[in-house]
Amino acid sequence: MSNANITKEEIQAIFPKVADTMADALACDLEKVTLEASLINDLGAESIDFLDIIFRLERAFKVKIPRGKIVEEARGELSEAEFEKGGIVSDAGLARLKIFLNEVPADRFTSPLKAAEIPRLFTVETFCKMVIRQQRAAASAPPA
Amino acid sequence: MDDHFRAFTFVDRITSVQPGVRIRGLYTIPPGLDDFPASLVAEAVGQLAAWSAMAALDFKVRPVAGLAGGVEFLSFVRPGQQLELAADLESAEADAVAYGGSASANGVPVIRLEHCVGPMMPLEDFDDPQVLRERFALLCTQGATPGSFGGVPTVALERSGSVAGLWTRATLQVPTTARFFADHFPRRPVFPGTLLMDANLRLAATLAAELPTANGLPWQLRAVSNVKLRAFTPPGETLELEARLSERDEKTARLIVEIRKGPRVVGGARVLLTTEART
Repeated sequence: MSNANITKEEIQAIFPKVADTMADALACDLEKVTLEASLINDLGAESIDFLDIIFRLERAFKVKIPRGKIVEEARGELSEAEFEKGGIVSDAGLARLKIFLNEVPADRFTSPLKAAEIPRLFTVETFCKMVIRQQRAAASAPPA
Repeated sequence: MDDHFRAFTFVDRITSVQPGVRIRGLYTIPPGLDDFPASLVAEAVGQLAAWSAMAALDFKVRPVAGLAGGVEFLSFVRPGQQLELAADLESAEADAVAYGGSASANGVPVIRLEHCVGPMMPLEDFDDPQVLRERFALLCTQGATPGSFGGVPTVALERSGSVAGLWTRATLQVPTTARFFADHFPRRPVFPGTLLMDANLRLAATLAAELPTANGLPWQLRAVSNVKLRAFTPPGETLELEARLSERDEKTARLIVEIRKGPRVVGGARVLLTTEART
């Protein structure tokens, strides 16, 4: 699922609710939750916090966020073998990741990058985009 | 005697189940106990939800610790009472189970849990999947013989600092051996998160006791929210607990409790106390 055409306006529209959700989940000051903030490095999130945040965002925005498929989505048309080898993201995978996570400052993409370290790149804006993609998917889905 | 399903097990019978969707069950609090803390009632609901989630995923994974969005304490329970347990699952997937639930005694609501999430871990790391399958079958048919739980030792808190009415800290030394480790869990002992939270609530109660109330009635635990455990606590671990006052008015006090291992915050919750009596 592409996020290339997600606009800044769309992100700004949902950011306050996302920020509230994250500040509550991480028990941190709302001011610290900026679009650029890395969840792990800046806000101290751990794996349980990711689960917490995703479930909270699902409830707040009434969408279903496919946990565990974030990296799969980031991989796009690349196969798993093309994306990573021995736990290290390939050059092609890194290039794909930079497009998918275009909100992440370029200097945060280290090379070699361990696949397990990809969540370290996620920013608050990454989660805003996740929500928007799921809102769009829900809006385009045929009624049940 | 094998303490598996005896030392820290709080479901005697599953009365109905749709794996991954909903589950109902019963647990009789052994009459010989001195008391049965509210945290163990929450544990019972969590264990019931875990059965439904494990059954939905063919006993390949199981939830361990996690978080609870909110836990409301509605009334007290007494040894000898039978708890009617209920859990409704929002989702049960390979990485996490999400659920809400409740417990009642004689039709009177005791506890209500909402927005609970348990990360799923490979079951065989913690227990024997076949043994759990057989136990599940037993619980779903004739049920287990009630009364095996003999209580848990109160883990001592050693106060390490405080400012009266504002904050208090204590060291918790997790025992290296205890019966409940044989049940929680046989292949990998983990200090139960509900016992950790119980210790935190005891510390919160000592802080609350220093706060005057307008009507002279004692503070009572009404709810905890944002309960989160970020790490497994093995036997022998040393943890630092802290309770601090967040805000207070005449009838309510809000506290924050935190668990640290060294500099790392490994758990915490927000605690609501009121002076209104629980039944």
